[in-house]
Amino acid sequence: MGSISLTIDGQQVEVEEGATVLQAARKADIVIPTICDHKDLNPYGACRMCIVEIAGVRGFPTSCTTPAAPGMQVVTQSARLTELRNRTLELMFSGHPNSCLVCIHREACEQYRPKVTKAARSTRCGFCANRDECDLRTMALSAGKNELSLPTLYASYNLERDDPFMDRDYNLCVLCGKCWRICEKIHGKPAISIINRGKWARIGTAFDKSHVFSGCTFCGGCIDICPTGTLTDRFARWQGKPEADTPSACILCSEGCSVVAQSKGGQLLAYTMTGFNKEAGLCALGRFGAAQIAASNQRLIRPLVREGEDLIPFDWQGAIAAAAEGLKDCAGGVVLVISAATSREDRFLYVQLAEQLQGRMLLLPAEAGEDDPQVQALAAAVQGGTIRAVIANGNLLPVEMMAKVPFSLIIDCLHSPASSGASVVLPAAVLSESGGTFRTATGAIKQLAVSSQAPGDALPEWRIVCDLAQALGLTGFDFERVEAVTPLVADDPAPAPVSGDPRQNVRDLIPRFRGHLLADVVSALAAFGLPTTPAETSEETTGVGFPILEKREIAPNMHFFKVKAEKVAQFSLPGQFVILMAKETSERSPFTLVDWDAAEGTISLVIEEVGRSSRELASLKAGDRIAHVSGPLGLPLTIENKGTVLLGGGCYGIGAIFPLARALRQAGNRVICAIEASSAYLLYMQKELATACDQLIIATKDGSEGVRGGIQEVLAQVAAQEPVDQFIAVGCTFMMRMVTEISRTLNIPTLVALNPIMVDGTGMCGACRVSVGDKTRFACIDGPIFDGHGVDWDELASRRSAYAREEVQALSQSVDLNALMHQPHAQSHGGGCGCGR
Amino acid sequence: MSEQFPLETILANFGRERDNLIPLLQEVQERFHYLSPEAVQAVADHLELSENDVYGVATFYAQFRFVPPGLHHIKVCEGTACHVRGSDRILDAISRSTGLKPGQTSDDGAFSLERVACFGSCALAPVVVVDDKVYGRMTAAKTNKLIEDKK
Repeated sequence: MGSISLTIDGQQVEVEEGATVLQAARKADIVIPTICDHKDLNPYGACRMCIVEIAGVRGFPTSCTTPAAPGMQVVTQSARLTELRNRTLELMFSGHPNSCLVCIHREACEQYRPKVTKAARSTRCGFCANRDECDLRTMALSAGKNELSLPTLYASYNLERDDPFMDRDYNLCVLCGKCWRICEKIHGKPAISIINRGKWARIGTAFDKSHVFSGCTFCGGCIDICPTGTLTDRFARWQGKPEADTPSACILCSEGCSVVAQSKGGQLLAYTMTGFNKEAGLCALGRFGAAQIAASNQRLIRPLVREGEDLIPFDWQGAIAAAAEGLKDCAGGVVLVISAATSREDRFLYVQLAEQLQGRMLLLPAEAGEDDPQVQALAAAVQGGTIRAVIANGNLLPVEMMAKVPFSLIIDCLHSPASSGASVVLPAAVLSESGGTFRTATGAIKQLAVSSQAPGDALPEWRIVCDLAQALGLTGFDFERVEAVTPLVADDPAPAPVSGDPRQNVRDLIPRFRGHLLADVVSALAAFGLPTTPAETSEETTGVGFPILEKREIAPNMHFFKVKAEKVAQFSLPGQFVILMAKETSERSPFTLVDWDAAEGTISLVIEEVGRSSRELASLKAGDRIAHVSGPLGLPLTIENKGTVLLGGGCYGIGAIFPLARALRQAGNRVICAIEASSAYLLYMQKELATACDQLIIATKDGSEGVRGGIQEVLAQVAAQEPVDQFIAVGCTFMMRMVTEISRTLNIPTLVALNPIMVDGTGMCGACRVSVGDKTRFACIDGPIFDGHGVDWDELASRRSAYAREEVQALSQSVDLNALMHQPHAQSHGGGCGCGR
Repeated sequence: MSEQFPLETILANFGRERDNLIPLLQEVQERFHYLSPEAVQAVADHLELSENDVYGVATFYAQFRFVPPGLHHIKVCEGTACHVRGSDRILDAISRSTGLKPGQTSDDGAFSLERVACFGSCALAPVVVVDDKVYGRMTAAKTNKLIEDKK
């Protein structure tokens, strides 16, 4: 093909015939903004950001769809183009929550909260998992725009989380079409498409089926290509931007797919595809499961040595010595049972160990469990009494069999019946934590790169086997690096291919990893029909707990609850809170009382859905029961006539100031309520508050309603007009901190309702410890209301984020399988199609 | 026009080119009065398309329905002339008396309600069409009586 020459921004550019203007510009390092363009996709021309001016061509053609022609004169930057691109961006933002971009407190907020806050639906950048990698945000900020003249029309779609691994928030979607286009490119028949029309156009499936039944293979391509926070991997969603992309291979089955391991802070976030094409496709297990296996709370993290009934944590030296002692006199009677889901080097060393101990080694397929014929044969041999020790690197041996063998050693990554029954347990590094090479079913040898850290004391198996062999006095195990083992591995046979095609059909996924049922480790896999260990039947709990009489989502992520709790309602006072447990097994979490009715025996709450516990509560419906409601807790607000009281509420605080306003007004105060939200659509309870106070002032960060700004601005405005005798703020820590700074300069007595992590709520655990005016106080019994000018805000913020990592991980571990769809067509249509089902 | 009319017979009359998608969907709706999930799947299989794509195309057009119509299908014109002459009130009245919103079919299958852009009978505005019979110059009261008669 010949080349052609054209001029872009006065620069002569040579490109191959057939190239687009956009490609030509990129060749000359001229940057044209794009959103819907991707190197692996055909030109689409949807986002209109890549418009250019071409001499002799009418209008502003999109450079991604315009073929370069000889002699073309292209201009990519001009005042008119900037104006048009900004208008396009503005239109896109009218359907994409943007209040953080125009918020006057953005810089202070991002400095105070460097990490995004987790939420159910992402209602602004600060609550969006994609903030740090968002193309839209980058464009808006680089355009230097701090004024968006169009209001946000929040679509208010439900957060879609009815399938195992994805959270989909179509309120953020700008319809760039990258997701369904990449799906079509990789799979031929896309599992998603653009459905409906005009304002209601969105990405979806036929009849709003769950993705489990829409032909989705869960390769994660759509998530990896989405330029917004619309499509997210539930596990990785709140972990932040990956820090490293390491090419490696997945060893979960004999396919040994090449992957790019995304990691952050030593933790594996996901295995992603090496390219957006069919050949690079991954199965659901590799894409989503691997990271969850590595992060599982069932990981073995310490060496364990049996002493009588108990397995006692040991250091490595002690545990290796105990293992060597157990194997000492077993030569000739040792059997190693090793899963094929290991590196070639690990397996080579296991073979060496077996040979030098004059034992046998059974190599089980990656998906095998204790019902494997080789294991069954071994169990029969054990009956004969000739076997004196077994070593397994997984849950590969029946417990009854292990009980009949004098010594059993488990070298594994996860707790299991086998590890519970073993004499010695050694914790192993797996997947992205261990290096080496892997031979696939096709015979190819792939490099395994280390991209994450093993938890606790876990070590790679090659290291464990070498240490053990040396402790046994065996020779040929003095390796310091796994790379030194690799050249010695020769003629290892290729493993058998997996049956079916797990990359094309989720129902072909292998059920086990090292003998562990995968759906036990990654519970979401049960949605594909993978087997689990039957749960022990729990006691019937029907009819106990506190009935929910009313439940509504009154603003995105804000859930109003009316709960029958007579005793709580009887004793409640303004400023007090309750501690709830959604289920018997739930975490205890505190929520401020918004209202109560002693006669009716009910309490009202506004619960903001943020993490796992509030999600469990938010998933309950009217008619369901909350397992536990304890309260009222905390000291009530002292209600006195102070004169003029200003109450400031943000987020959940909008509801929480309601009973304070009512009581203070009854006591004769002039009560002004100020409520803030990022945007008008996030406000709630305005009517109720208006009736409970003398004046209601609304502030929004994007100026969509009332004062532009937050409580700070309202406080300053009110104080300039009339004396404020008391100021009380309830809301997020950032807001309370900011307003106390203003109120201090204005000399206004200030109270704040603090929200530290709390467990028992009765002053026992100390989790809610806060420092106020050089005194250590417990928010649960000394508060939650304190003098705002004495609070050590840095300490509060740091204590509140102490479990940030665990909180993020808990989100993917709390999959409610009842909420997942097991039958096609059995689900409701979600309202999108208007059919009423 | 029977419900029993086999889908395969319709499919057999069309080639497998994707240009046939809309005519095929129209034919299926003509015969079955709506597009069921099974029909969408069958059309997708016939044309070797993804059912999600077929559904995407079908939901783009106002002419396709995804729930079976009732025994009596009520169409209320919301075109300019009818709108000016109060078709909103007629629609509200029908919604109140049948409990249906546009696009829905009653649980007993007796009625279904649809909003239509224009019938081209603007001289008769506001217009209601029940079972393909046109009723002109309607009022809320007249429409309610019409529905009562059909119950």
